[in-house]
Amino acid sequence: MSQPALTITAPGQAAGRRRRLLEIAGAAAIAATYVFLVLTQPADIANGPASFSALVALGGFLLGAVLLIVAVLPALPTSTVVLIPVALVLNVVLGQLMGSTGLPFYIDAIGTVLIAVLAGPAAGAATGALSSIVWSFFNPTVLPFAAGAALIGFLAGMAARGGLFRRFYLAPVAGFVTGILAGVVSAPIAAFVFGGTSGLGTGAIVSAFRAMGDTLLAAITKQALISDPMDKAIVFTIAALLAYALPRRTTFQFPFVRRYRVLAGKAPAAPDA
Amino acid sequence: MTPRLHPFTTLTLAACAAGVTTAAAYWPLSVAVALAAVALAARRGVAGRVLTAGAVILTPLCLSLLVLHGLFFPEGQTVLAQWGPARVTAEGLGFALELGTRTTACVLVFLLFSFTVSVPDLVSALAGRRIPPQFGFVLASTLTLLPAVAGRLDRIRQAQETRGMVVGRGLLSRLGALRLQMVPLVLALIDDAGSRAQALDARGFGSPGPRTSYREVADPPAQRLFRAAVLVLAAAAVARRIVASWPAGVPS
Repeated sequence: MSQPALTITAPGQAAGRRRRLLEIAGAAAIAATYVFLVLTQPADIANGPASFSALVALGGFLLGAVLLIVAVLPALPTSTVVLIPVALVLNVVLGQLMGSTGLPFYIDAIGTVLIAVLAGPAAGAATGALSSIVWSFFNPTVLPFAAGAALIGFLAGMAARGGLFRRFYLAPVAGFVTGILAGVVSAPIAAFVFGGTSGLGTGAIVSAFRAMGDTLLAAITKQALISDPMDKAIVFTIAALLAYALPRRTTFQFPFVRRYRVLAGKAPAAPDA
Repeated sequence: MTPRLHPFTTLTLAACAAGVTTAAAYWPLSVAVALAAVALAARRGVAGRVLTAGAVILTPLCLSLLVLHGLFFPEGQTVLAQWGPARVTAEGLGFALELGTRTTACVLVFLLFSFTVSVPDLVSALAGRRIPPQFGFVLASTLTLLPAVAGRLDRIRQAQETRGMVVGRGLLSRLGALRLQMVPLVLALIDDAGSRAQALDARGFGSPGPRTSYREVADPPAQRLFRAAVLVLAAAAVARRIVASWPAGVPS
């Protein structure tokens, strides 16, 4: 990586292939960790917490998230890289603002989804994973969920590319589906690393399923299937509202928005168009 | 004054302490690690901040664990009390204690790291390694942007209030007020980011090649050796634990 590559194009292609391999390795690490955890979940947790599953979950998901960051981050244009801190700040600040309205949701991915809509799936995945890592400076319990956050950003970007943000009623649907997948992937972290959920409300739902005799992973997965799709549908709706509330001159300056016609409406007339 | 520790040394120590605590899953060790983190924080004068931040994160988590496992633990055998479907079992309480102390120890150790590390030192240390330079930018930029945004949000709220924004009691009124504050904030941040991108590009931010830094962070050989030793020891302990618990984890 250190040789000067200003005039030769071949190293660029090689680096692109290397990055593609890293991306695939990162996604494979996350998927393999999930499958492994579900297949080998300890049947009897009464003998003590499953430190083996906790270590596998932490190691596999963090490795996947770091590989994705290393693969995606250097390839992003500067205009996208400077948006990532903005997204993280929006995740935190808008999450707190939403909390002030008294709605019972933990809306903490608005910035990630907004960046994914404006800059694409790769930027969304990198933003999600980086958000978790930087946020863990104030709240270390966010760190293990980096893989789930990356998945949310990636799926939001794919939905935007597929044109689901062009029709307003489709954005919550995309959020609902994203919430199902992200909730299922994050459930093993909540079950094996933390042994439950961080909120009292969500904890009550898990308790209800546990009272019916479910295993911890099954109970937390079912709780995630109740809370997360609703939460992500709201997040996607807010992100869509914000994307349309922004002036068209701002949103259409992003190549991803122009290329895939992510938002409804005509592009503003460029002076040299 | 003692010589400053390199950011990677403290990061390695925090990660290894958290990893070993997670692997051991033995509550006396978790309590010892948590107490050690608090003692170190007190010595560095950040005990108040670490404990406040830790309490905000850990209180709901531990309460949730206590209610969840203390009352509903179908695997439990030793029933201490029973009300309808809720059974207090010794195993459930032990499980809650085990996981609660483990998470507490890990959170306190990482908070101790993030409240004592010097962010400029960490960023320049990151720039010297094979880590994408964008990562250091995102980290430093976010940590400096957060306080600035809080101030900007306050100014937006004042400006909208002078224009007649009144936050009523109803949900719709509150959501409307939220929109009046969110849209200018997001627009300003994205607009700022655009001009920052041009300024950064003009200074070669996006071009490939190695980076240099004006800030030199001393990394004495003794600390490198210490880091390597701690990493090897922690990895050995974790590996031993994985091997010991492997048959229990994988059903035939």
